[in-house]
Order: sequence, then C-alpha cells, then structure tokens
Amino acid sequence: MKKILVIDDDQFFAKTLEKALPAEKYELLVAEDGEVGLEKLKSEKPDLIILDLMMPKLDGTAFLRKLQESKDLPKVPILVSSNLSSVKKISDVMSMGAVGYVIKSDESLQSIAQDIERVIGEADRKNSNNSK
Amino acid sequence: MSKMLAFSSGTLISCLVGLLVLLGLVFYLIFYLINQKKAIVKEREESSRRLYELSILKELGVRAGYSLNVEEILQIITGSLIQFIDYTAVGYAVTTPEKIKVNIHIEKSVNYKFLNDIKKSMAASLSALTNKNIKLSDFDEVISGAIIVDEVKKKVGSLFNIPLVISGQVAGVLTIAHTETGLYKEEDMTILYKITGQASEAVSRLQEVVKIEQGKLNAMVESMGDGVLMVDPEYRIVVANPAVKRIINFNYSEKDKVLSIFDFVDNLGGKFDIHGRLEEAISKNEPYISKRIEIDNTFFEIGVYPVVHSPEKNKNKNLGAVVVFHDITHDIELEKVREEFTSMIVHELRSPLDSIKKIIELMVAGSIKADSDEYKEYLNMAHQSSSSMLEMVNDILDLSKLQAGKFEINKEDANIKNVIENRITFFKISANSKNLSLESSLSENIPEIIKFDPQAVKQILNNFISNAMKFTSQGGSILVSAFTLDSKSNFSININKDKFKVFPEISNFRIRKPSLCVVVSDTGIGISQDHLKDLFQTYKQVKMDQIDDESKGTGLGLVIAKGIAEAHSGNVGVVSREGIGSSFFFTIPLS
Repeated sequence: MKKILVIDDDQFFAKTLEKALPAEKYELLVAEDGEVGLEKLKSEKPDLIILDLMMPKLDGTAFLRKLQESKDLPKVPILVSSNLSSVKKISDVMSMGAVGYVIKSDESLQSIAQDIERVIGEADRKNSNNSK
Repeated sequence: MSKMLAFSSGTLISCLVGLLVLLGLVFYLIFYLINQKKAIVKEREESSRRLYELSILKELGVRAGYSLNVEEILQIITGSLIQFIDYTAVGYAVTTPEKIKVNIHIEKSVNYKFLNDIKKSMAASLSALTNKNIKLSDFDEVISGAIIVDEVKKKVGSLFNIPLVISGQVAGVLTIAHTETGLYKEEDMTILYKITGQASEAVSRLQEVVKIEQGKLNAMVESMGDGVLMVDPEYRIVVANPAVKRIINFNYSEKDKVLSIFDFVDNLGGKFDIHGRLEEAISKNEPYISKRIEIDNTFFEIGVYPVVHSPEKNKNKNLGAVVVFHDITHDIELEKVREEFTSMIVHELRSPLDSIKKIIELMVAGSIKADSDEYKEYLNMAHQSSSSMLEMVNDILDLSKLQAGKFEINKEDANIKNVIENRITFFKISANSKNLSLESSLSENIPEIIKFDPQAVKQILNNFISNAMKFTSQGGSILVSAFTLDSKSNFSININKDKFKVFPEISNFRIRKPSLCVVVSDTGIGISQDHLKDLFQTYKQVKMDQIDDESKGTGLGLVIAKGIAEAHSGNVGVVSREGIGSSFFFTIPLS
C-alpha cells in the first residue's frame, strides 16, 4: 500500500482522483493547503506528493522552497498538478525539484493515474538500487 | 533852371526812393526765393532721408524678417547705404563669443593704410564701447569691393562709427569712411542712428520674446520626468535635463565637469548604442525607438529623433538630434500585474470546469454506481462547480463591459426595502446552515420608491452578503442596514454597535446630495489596512483566507459593485478592523 499526499485546496480534485486510483494499491491523504501539507508530510511520510500551486496560506512554490531548504523533512517525489500553464511557472517548479508537472485540465484522471504509477515505480527502483 | 533843377531834384529823389523800394523789393524777392529754395532743398533732403529710412526699414523687415542675426541686419544696412550716403568704404564689426567679425566693403580703391586706419578706428570705438581692449588681431575680417592700390595716396578724410546696441549691450559698430574731409553731417548721422537704433530695438525685442519662449521650453524640458538630451550635428550637447543626468548617474557636483556625449556612451555601454543611433538619425533623418532597455533596475524606451528646422520651404537645416529616455517601468509593472490577473482568471475558470470533466470521466468509466449516495455527492459537486464557474464567467463579462464603458443600468421606480428583504430571504438558508445570523435594519426614512436598477443593486448585495458569509466564522452575525443620509443631517440609526463594532462614520460615505446608504456589516475576520486600499481595484485581488474554501473569490465582484454604484452616480466603500469585522457599503443619490 502506497501513501499519496494530495496537497490541493480543490477538494473535488482529491475526491475524483481517489476514485480513479485502485483503492487496494493506494491510500490517499488530503491537505487543503501547504501548511497542513507540511504537517502531514512529517507525520504520514507519504510515498508521493501531488502538489497544487495556487493555494491559501502556503502555496505550492513556497512549499517546494521549504522542502529544498529543509534538511530534516523526508525526501519524497513531488508531482505538481495545477491549472497554471505558463511555461515559466513550469520551468520554475521543475528546477525546484519536482519530478513532473501535470496541467490538470489537459489531462484525464486516467493519465494522471498513469503518471502516479510511473513516478512511484521509478522511486521504487531507485530505492531498491540504493539498498543493494 | 533851379526850378527845373528843383523839379528834377525832386523827381530824382522820388525816383531814387522808388528805385530803392524797388531794389529792396527785388532783393527781398531774391532773398525770399533763395530761402524758399533752401527750404525746398532741405525738405527734399528731408523727404529723401525719410524715404531712405523707410526703404531701409522695409528692406530690413523683408530680408531680415525675424532674423536674430545682427550680422545679417548690418549687412542689409551697409548694403543699401550707398543710395543715400557717399563713402569710400563701409563696414561693420560684430562681437561674437569667439571673435570679432569684421566686414568692410571698399567702394573706390584705397591703400592699405586707409583700410588699416578704418580698422583701428573700429577697434578703438569697440574698445571704448565695450570697455575691453580689442586688438586688430581679434578681427576675423572679410574685405570686399574695389582692389587695394598702394599708389592711391588718399587718407581718411571723414569717418563715422555708429554703435549697435542689442538689449542694452553693445553688439557691434557700423563704420563709414571717405577720403574727402568734412563729410557726414550730423543730421545724416542722426538718421543712421535712427536706423541702427530701430534695427537694434527690433532685434532686442525679438530676443526678449525668444528668451521668454526659450525659458518656457527650458522649464518644460527641465521638469520633464523623461530624460531629454539634444545634440548638434557634431554631437555636442545642446540640452540635457536633470532627468537624463540622473539616468546616466552624471555627477553635477563635480566642478569643471562638462557633460559630453562620451558620458552617455560610457554609461549606456552595451545596452544602447547611442552614438550609432544619433549618427543614423542625423544622417538618415529617420526616427528610432528602442525596445525596452534596463538601466539600474529601471526600464526605458529610448527614442532618437532627428531635429530638422525649415526656415524656408524645401530648405531643411539639420540641427542635430534629440534622445528621449521614456521610463516605462510602471507600464511593465502594470503589464506584469495584468498577466498575473489573466493567469489567475484562467486558473479559476479551469478548476471548476476540470472538476466537472473529471467527475463525468469517472461516471463514464463506471467508477461510481448510479443511484448510490456517492453518485448524488458527485452530481452535487458537478453542480457546485458549474455554478461557481457560471458566476465567474458572468463577473468577467460584467468586468469587460465596465472596462469598455458599456456597462448599462436600467433605472426604474423600485422599492429598495423589498430588494433587501428578498436578498435576506435568499441567503437565509445558507446562513442558517453555517450558523450565522443574517438580519436587516431598514430605516423609516427610506422613500418607498427610489429610481435605481434593482437587478444591478441585487448584484451588489449578493456580492457583499456572500463575502460577509465567507469571512465570518460560525456563530457570527451579518446585518444589512439601509437609511437615507443628508450630508448635513446628523447620523443616528438604530444599530447595535456593541455587536457590529465596525460601522462607517458619516464622512466615510462621501455623499454630496441626500442619498440612500446600504451597509452590509459582519463580525468576521476583517481586512488589514494594507489590503483595504487594493479592494475595488481591477487587477489587485486581495488574497485572503476564507473561513472555509467552499467558494473562492476572484475579488471581481467588488470591482463590479463599484462600477454599478458609480453608474448610479453613487459610491462604494469599506471600513474594516482586523479580527473585529467589516462593513461594506454603497450609496445612491436620491434625486
């Protein structure tokens, strides 16, 4: 069972995504803003974070920055999913350590689910290589 | 005989007397005639002088026009002097900042000594007039006319110098000389004085006008926020205003430091090829406007324009070029804000639409069983998303109408109390579900019928009330109060100020005529002073943390509310204290 933390103020997105992912493989955790996201990151130690950018309190970019600066926060692959589509925003976010960028409205739930599978698979391979 | 003698002597005497009288008469007549002739000659001379004076002045007027060139005027005077005064040589000396320009025209051949004597006289005269020691070596001279012949042994017989005074300062001297002595009577000279006097007066007056105009222009250029630089065709700096000096960090305080084009070339470095652009403007006569250029964190659009003067038709004179440094930092900031705004709107529109799409995707894929509770929940989500999107699309349409000045209101006779009560009923259900109290307090003094657009006013109320609900936590209160207000009358209404601590003062309403005031007050989280000023502004959305995130706002509603109130010749406003509450209000003049 893999834990996925969805940090997004759009509760509908988390709900629809949860439905689209096989319930037996993934457990979905939801945080409605970056601050709650940081807390859940520490307490739940998810395998993947799906991060929105435009959020109240601590937005996605600030969340990534915190993660970059921090030494004790767990390193978790982050897939950014937002409805912001400016090229600059995407390259900014990628340079801050995100593993992928999904423009929500351009993708179906199915393709987002595939992205999630791929990212988690890659992280697993990396981990198993490291442990060897 | 003696009788005869006596007779004859008597006759002789009488004859003599008669003769004497006759002679006297004749002499008188001759004398009279001579005098008369003299007077006629004098009159003729006088009139010819007058004519000359007139013709010279006319010529001056036509040829010199509005010329400020003293030399040109002196050339005209000396060129036409021969019609009136006989001279061997005529000339002038004019002081210029660099040297003294001398022009002598020789009518009849003279020797070098003659010429030198004239020049010496000119130098002496100028020295005396200007109180400076002027030497012949200071002269930059042009000699024209008859050739110099050393065999001519004639000396200067008569010579006259007339000073030319412009604006109280000696600008030069006009000189005539003759080999004969005793010429140039005082009255001839008076006329010359008159002519030069009039010419110098005209020039002085013109210079005064030019000075005033120049002063205005200078003041304008000096006070301009844009940097202005003008160079002549040799790239010498003619004008550089304080703004342009600031742009290139030119230090005024350093004494003896003269601003040159190199200061610009050095300072602009690789950012802008000022020399190349100036060269192009001057040689090709074509203006150039740069793209944005950053100099010390400020953005400029630099324009280079040729300066061409056309004193006469089809005769252009290139005076150099002007460089204008237009500060576009503010425009760029505005552009950035607009971009952010557009990207925010796109984001806010995509989110609900995307939710709907994904919900349908799940349904199509059969992930949600029909007729289950879950199915209803998802349908409800789709419904909420579509409503919030529709609301936003309407806001955007309204905003674009407002910005295009095409937002129309249909004023009709309507009852504001009914409109308010209608809105209270509408919002009551969701207020109850959030455990918020929503009440109204309508003053007795409100007229039954007021002219306004009820639909548009409903829109303002929707916005104010839904905002109040968004930012007020459970157990809080919202009050919609309405009353009429006269700018003079005291302002006392029945409001529980203990509950609604933040309520506008009379001055907050900014009314000039008796007006209807509608206030929506809450006991919510309030707005910080920093954010207050940005409310009601199109591209400045205040980011606030809602009590819940069921419905998000773009802040457009407030901008539209402002537009609606203004279309009614009224106002909108807000008073707020962080952590205590807010009151949003609008006013509509009663007449």
